[in-house]
This record gives sequence, C-alpha cells and structure tokens, in this order.
Amino acid sequence: MGRWLELTVESDIEAVEAVCEILARVAPGGTSVEPGFELVEDGLGARIDTNRPATIRAYVPALDRAAADHAVAIVSEALGHLQAFNLRPIGELRTTVVDEADWAEAWKEHFHVLRLGRRLVIKPSWERHQRGADDEVVIDLDPGMAFGTGLHPTTRLCLEALEARADRGPLGRALDVGCGSGILSIAAVKLGATRAVGVDIDPIAIEATLANARHNRAGKRVRAHEGSVPTDRGPFDLVLANLIAGLLVELAAPLAAELVPGGTLIASGIFIDREPEVRAALESAGLRITGRRHETDWVALEAIGPA
Amino acid sequence: MAKKIRIVLTLQLPAGKATPAPPVGTALGPHGINIVEFTKSYNEKTADKAGQVIPAQITVYEDRSFTFVLKTPPAADMLRKAAGIDKGSGTPKRETIGRVTRAQVRDIAAIKMADLSANDIEAAARMIEGTARSMGIEVEAAAKG
Repeated sequence: MGRWLELTVESDIEAVEAVCEILARVAPGGTSVEPGFELVEDGLGARIDTNRPATIRAYVPALDRAAADHAVAIVSEALGHLQAFNLRPIGELRTTVVDEADWAEAWKEHFHVLRLGRRLVIKPSWERHQRGADDEVVIDLDPGMAFGTGLHPTTRLCLEALEARADRGPLGRALDVGCGSGILSIAAVKLGATRAVGVDIDPIAIEATLANARHNRAGKRVRAHEGSVPTDRGPFDLVLANLIAGLLVELAAPLAAELVPGGTLIASGIFIDREPEVRAALESAGLRITGRRHETDWVALEAIGPA
Repeated sequence: MAKKIRIVLTLQLPAGKATPAPPVGTALGPHGINIVEFTKSYNEKTADKAGQVIPAQITVYEDRSFTFVLKTPPAADMLRKAAGIDKGSGTPKRETIGRVTRAQVRDIAAIKMADLSANDIEAAARMIEGTARSMGIEVEAAAKG
C-alpha cells in the first residue's frame, strides 16, 4: 500500500487561489478546498462564509522521502513569499502522513440492505438478500449522485406512507413530483401502481429514474419527464411529492389539480417548523389532511383530494 | 427532494483525469459517497478540456448523495494564459517570469467573480493580483504597445 504526505494550509478566502497554485506546483493530482460555510433555509442551502478561513489540502507520494521533503520545502518557501503580496494572513503549512486506502470501494461500507415499513427492502447490487415473506418488495438501487448511501428521513417517511396506502387498496396511476433517483416511482409500481410518472426539473434525475426503473424490471410501467406540475398527463390516483416545505406551499394548488376526485397526496420533505404553513396551503387547495408521520426534524403528510 | 447539506467543498482536478486517489479519495471518502460515480461523471463532463485544471464544487447531502457543478479554471491558469507562460516562478520576489496588465487582471476577476466568494470586483481583482505576484507575474498599469 502506498502512502501520501498530506499538505494542509488554512487560508483566508482572499489567498485561496494563490495557495492552490503553490500546492499544485508539487501536487499535480489536484487540491481540495473546504471553505467555512453556514447552512441556510433549514439546512437546504449553504452560504460560503468569507470571514472564516478555508482549509486547502494537496498530496504528494510519501514513499520517496527526499522528493516529499523537497516538495515541502518548495511550498514553504512560496507560502513565505505570499505573505508579502498583500494577501490576508494564511496559517502554517502542516503535514501528515496518510495511508493509501481503497477509496474506490470503501464507501460501500456505508450502505447495506435497508428494511422499511413492513415489506420494503432496498438493496445495493453487491449485497445478497434472502427473500423473506411472499409479499416482500425488493428494490435494487445502487447509490450514486441522485441517491445516497444513507436514506434521507424524508424519503423513508414517503416510502412508509406509500406502503401503508398500498395496504389499504389499489394505488392506480401515480405521479412522482421531484423523482430524483426514481425510488418512489419504482416502489409505487412494485407496490401495485399500474403506472408511475416521474417529473423532475433536473435532467440527471430523469436519466437516473429511467435507468433504475429498467434495472428493477419496472421500465415499462415507469415514465419520467423533465418538468414539474402541472403535467398535463393527469389526473392521477396518487401524487407523491417529496419536495421541500416552500415548494409544497407554492405548488399546493397544482398538486391538488393532478388528483382524481378523492385521490391521495403524500407530501414529504416538510421541515417540522414549517408544518403549519404546509397544512394551511394544502387545506386551502381543497385537500383534507388524513395522516401524518414524522422522523427527527421531518414530517410527511397524507391528504385526500376533494370528492 | 428535500435534502440537508452535510458539506460543501471544491476539488481542483486535472480535467478528464480524476481518480479515486487523493485529493478525491481523502476529501470525499470520509463522507461515504460513491467516489467512482463522482470521478466518472467529472471525467465525462471535462473530457473536452484535457490539459486544464477544472474545479468542481461538490455538495454532499446528509443521505450521502451529492451533486457537483464545474467552476471557472483557477486564477493561476488564466494568468498563465494571459501572460503567455507555462509555469510559475519558484522565487517570485527575485524573478519575474511574465507580465499582465491591470485590465487583464480585471477581466479575469470579472470572469471569476462568482466563484471567488469575493464581495466586489475590487476584492476579486486583489485576489487575482496577489496570485499573479505570488507566481512571479508582474502586474503593470497599462498594456505595452
């Protein structure tokens, strides 16, 4: 196994570009920059904090000791000069030895077979799963960009509400607004929906949804289109909207308009402090709230459209 | 989908040639995201820019999914291009290896404004100028004839 010498510099935002250039002289593999940031909009957005220093890192092979020492000397000298060029302060150069790891595979440890609700199972391709009860629903999903290695509480809540709804009667045609990886659309058809239509404003999500649906042999019953509501593909018996509070408020009327009379809306992604706002918006769109689930700071609501 | 952000970071990588080795593995590994998915996608998106360094700003969410956007090339690369040189000076205080005009600095600052987290064009220009001087590139007031 190889070893790397990690070179770390704390720098004012103003000097980040200059420090990166200096590190890149000895580390052609690249640099990483971690700025100070603060979360905004209930954690859904991030704002770079220019008053806090950024941490910049670069790596040189550590096995050749002389070459590594030479690299450190070059960087130290250049950082020394930098102080004279009217850039605000930067910290000391720090070095740490990092052992090579199997970075390409190590992340898989974070993801195993997930059980949800009574009969939903989400499984990555590299894990084996012994099928349990007859009515178990297994979704094959490998984490990538749109779907992470940890299921977000909002998705989990939505899946549980979906399963509970399927237990009460046929799902019919489903609309999945903000389909992302397609997990909800796939779950819907596997739980009995005759068809699921996913929409998302992100083209990557459309590709991911279609690929994941095919992989789960649900390609024929899952469709995905770039866009949002209104869809002009309705009406639907079931609308899944795993969005955020602000969007649910904004889209309450068009979401309700996608429903057949008496159809079901499952709305998730509601930060707990904003639940009253979302409830009010859904109710003024003519929906009647019939169920609520919550996990940590997140809430999912189930509502029925006007008859 | 509503997803809470875990971390925001930028990787400056050789276009089309990112691998799971550091800095990618060391920066993203601790956050448990699919690193190969990142390198594959980054390399596809930057394949036509081989030879350049293209920064990717990555947002990792709490569910360990992620997104990334490509940013403008590093100031150093733009300065090298403007000055017509291929590398920085090892001893910038003693050795000048190229020159750019203040107007060129401002042009670069304008292009990089959004990516620099600078408050205004003056601050952005100061960052670019500092980078230039650190590289041994002199900034002169007017263009030479």
